[in-house]
Amino acid sequence: MKVKVRKFINYIRKPQHVILLVLLVCLAYLVVFPLFYIVKDTLIVHTSEVNRVHANAGTLTNYHWAKTFLASDTFATFWQPLLHSLICAVLSCVIAILVGGLFAWLIIRTDMHCKKLCSTLFMFLYIMPGWTLAIAWTNFFKNSLVGGTTGIFEAITRVSTPNWFAYGLFPIVLVTGLHYAPYAYILIGGILKNMDSNLEEAAQILNVSRAGIFVKITIPLVKPAILSTILLVFASGLSVFSTAQFLGLPVNFYTLATKMYSYLNGTNPGRGYVYAVVMMVLSLTILVLNQRMLGTRKSYTTVSGKSSNISLTKLRKGRKIISILVTAFVICVTILPFISFATESLTQVKGDYSLANFTLKYWIAEDAGIGFSGILRNPVFWKALKNTLLLAVCCSLGAGTVGALAGYGIARKWGSKLSTVVNGLTFLPYLIPSIALSAIYLSMFSTRHGIIPALYGTYGMLVLIGVVKYLPMASRSGLNSMFQISATLEESATVMGIPWWKRMCKILIPIQKTSIMSGYLLPFTSCTREMELFVLLYTPNSVLLTTLLFMYNQKGYEQFANAITLLIVILVISLNALINKITGASIDSGIGG
Amino acid sequence: MADNSIRLINVTKRFGKSVAVDHLNLEIPANSFISLLGPSGCGKTTTLRMIAGLETPTEGEIWIGDKLVFSAEKGIDVPPNNRGIGFLFQNYALWPHMTVYKNIAFGLENMKWKKADIDKKVNELCELLQLSTYLDRYPSELSGGQQQRVAIARTLATSPQILLMDEPLSNLDAKLRLEMRTELKRLHGTTNATFVYVTHDQMEAMALSTNVCLMNMAVMQQYAPPLKLYAEPVNMFVADFVGNPSMNFVEFDLKDQVVSRNGVRLGVTPVNGGKLLKKEGKVVLGVRPENVKVSAEGEISAKVISSFPYGMETTLVIECMGSDMRTVVFGSVDYRTGEEIRISLCHEKACLFDGETKELLSVVETKIL
Ligand SMILES: Nc1ncnc2c1ncn2[C@@H]1O[C@H](COP(=O)(O)OP(=O)(O)OP(=O)(O)O)[C@@H](O)[C@H]1O
Ligand SMILES: [Mg+2]
Repeated sequence: MKVKVRKFINYIRKPQHVILLVLLVCLAYLVVFPLFYIVKDTLIVHTSEVNRVHANAGTLTNYHWAKTFLASDTFATFWQPLLHSLICAVLSCVIAILVGGLFAWLIIRTDMHCKKLCSTLFMFLYIMPGWTLAIAWTNFFKNSLVGGTTGIFEAITRVSTPNWFAYGLFPIVLVTGLHYAPYAYILIGGILKNMDSNLEEAAQILNVSRAGIFVKITIPLVKPAILSTILLVFASGLSVFSTAQFLGLPVNFYTLATKMYSYLNGTNPGRGYVYAVVMMVLSLTILVLNQRMLGTRKSYTTVSGKSSNISLTKLRKGRKIISILVTAFVICVTILPFISFATESLTQVKGDYSLANFTLKYWIAEDAGIGFSGILRNPVFWKALKNTLLLAVCCSLGAGTVGALAGYGIARKWGSKLSTVVNGLTFLPYLIPSIALSAIYLSMFSTRHGIIPALYGTYGMLVLIGVVKYLPMASRSGLNSMFQISATLEESATVMGIPWWKRMCKILIPIQKTSIMSGYLLPFTSCTREMELFVLLYTPNSVLLTTLLFMYNQKGYEQFANAITLLIVILVISLNALINKITGASIDSGIGG
Repeated sequence: MADNSIRLINVTKRFGKSVAVDHLNLEIPANSFISLLGPSGCGKTTTLRMIAGLETPTEGEIWIGDKLVFSAEKGIDVPPNNRGIGFLFQNYALWPHMTVYKNIAFGLENMKWKKADIDKKVNELCELLQLSTYLDRYPSELSGGQQQRVAIARTLATSPQILLMDEPLSNLDAKLRLEMRTELKRLHGTTNATFVYVTHDQMEAMALSTNVCLMNMAVMQQYAPPLKLYAEPVNMFVADFVGNPSMNFVEFDLKDQVVSRNGVRLGVTPVNGGKLLKKEGKVVLGVRPENVKVSAEGEISAKVISSFPYGMETTLVIECMGSDMRTVVFGSVDYRTGEEIRISLCHEKACLFDGETKELLSVVETKIL
């Protein structure tokens, strides 16, 4: 007995064990338990469903599952949205890879002009939240067919855009694909850049045609990057919510996520939870595929050595025209949206773009006409801004700290069961679509559980879900940074009797400050632009910029919505620039080698 | 002074199913310099880390002096900082964001030493290790040998009574290695600490240590002073691992203290009062190259396969009794490939191993019959 106690004390004396155990308990409650909880939620009668199911609230029922899979309208309400989600996912992938891959090749492997400008602007697509493009698209192409006013395109050309072009599948796919194209660009570009062009030249010497080289050599080498882009974009495309909400709703085009939202916000939340479960199962399937492919991926990465003997393909006659086309395209998808947000927020009567119609009232007027004052005078806006920034700070502090500690614990016990389990758990939230995660938390924290109070409607709830959602991001960078430092650097201090906190503060953190900082900063920017995670959970008290925008957009206050979008985009981009500057500058000369 | 002997009793370390160290019993006397020697992956680092407390043994006990620092049975595990040890890591593990001075002083600052005392100690160590001119540099601005010396200074700063070193010289070039060997031996003399030294280089182990612990596949093979290891290896693995060029092994048939092969008959007489327990069967005769004497009067004929003249001596690979053998001829001589020579095995020390178990039967003296 005494031996057991002593052994336990020895075990618990090592900080990595404490960290892992605490994380295990917390994550079990915050990530694993919810998965079961939501399944339970698909099987009981909720208060708002009493009249529909004809049973008391809280009793068991198969109503939700039966309604989803067995009812007569199941094609329209379930299979069609599922099909839409799948089509969105596949087509977004294709677009992201074609656009991103072509772009990577042009920038890295050809002698195109304006590379720097194009590359920088292109990244904006990824930095800006995905739904901003959706809003820009409606600004330009909305037509009079679906209620109300027309967009800039029709105002200029007098041509009315067809419905399929203005709303629904086509723009959703295009917008999602473009949003993730920079991701493909980074991954594929990284390989193209590190790939020795000797590999291609060797084939050239053997007299293989250009097309042959591309198909037989270049494509196989970038295959792993393409695969991982596919997985990411596919998973995101499946669960795309805000873009689908903005572009799909006017023509009743539903995806799984938007359908789920409508149920959760309507009178049948139980059925919404069924959709959330379906989305999670799909995401988990993708994870399994991802793991499978990762195995084969490793053997590929060895191909891309460090050698950077890159020979640029000459575009010859096409050089000018291609450069112009590419630059124009990039400007179209990045700068024009800005202009559209600004214009829309300045027009008094929607759809009229004559100079006389411009006004600043939606920005600064005491009373902007619909019972609100202009954005900059609107206390709700300032509150939302304050809330957003505060939330971002809290989430980044929370996720960053927990992530760094998790990285430490996992790296130190790498290979042990505990470490493997905790590592998996920190990664799990990444796989749960944001909207599904918030649905779960909505159900889980709306009532009190033992010592854990009902958090719904509180600010703490938003912080909690933010920390959980961004934990994968933060713990990845924490883990990476710990793996980069040999454990002996810490052990040599341990042997000297230097206490744990001092080892962390004086040795580990200073050595890895850049990557630890990025564990804090990534959640920060992500949080300022996050919509889907909070859209189900906010209350008037905890309103955020993005949820405010969502609300205005749904109510048709487009000038306000555009003004806020513009502000969010500017905020996100300047934060990003600031962060690049900070982390870039902090790599000081003492560290290296 | 505290007792700085180390005792490992039945220490086993398993990683999952694989065994890294298997029932190791090792007594390291106070103030000695012992080497852990063995091929890659045999468990040397693991043993060292267990002594330091950086790795938890699966079974067994570890004593430092008269203090039990680890016992699986009693659930005792004294943390590394309370074991009074210093650890020199294979990759130096210098803190890249601290200057040389700071690296050395950090441990002392932690012990709440006064600034002046720290200064004095650091300067003293830097003098000893010839580092005084580099105090303000960062580790990345030092050469491998200088980094090595900083690591040694840092480890010595806290005056540990036991110094554990994990292949500290493996990253250095040959010349620097020789210099550092001398340095280490001198340090051992001046510090009076117990040195445990891990290496896979048998020359280094032989040259430096009072005792060598030779390991293979997690099991200790032999624990003995270097020359005993050389002269009386307990099995063929040890015999083969120690010595360069390595020992010649020739299979013979044994019958009543006579071994024969290809018509050559040798009498084998146990030396040092030993006895041959095996009467007959397959045996392996192990002869050190320097005991295979090349001479015109030799009893056995041989043919030169290749010759490597090094100046001070020449190593020959010869064919003899239907088997390849190595021999060393001292002096500046060279031989032609294919040249017929004669060798002598009369009155030479050799090791007789059992053909099946590969264990040493006895050290013997050979005689041509
Ligand atoms: N953390 C670990 N997890 C699993 N196996 C390990 C671990 N550390 C060591 N081993 C295994 O234990 C065995 C002994 O390893 P050890 O590091 O002690 O070898 P070594 O003798 O120091 O070798 P080298 O000369 O290459 O440094 C090896 O087979 C190794 O694979
Ligand atoms: Mg080792």
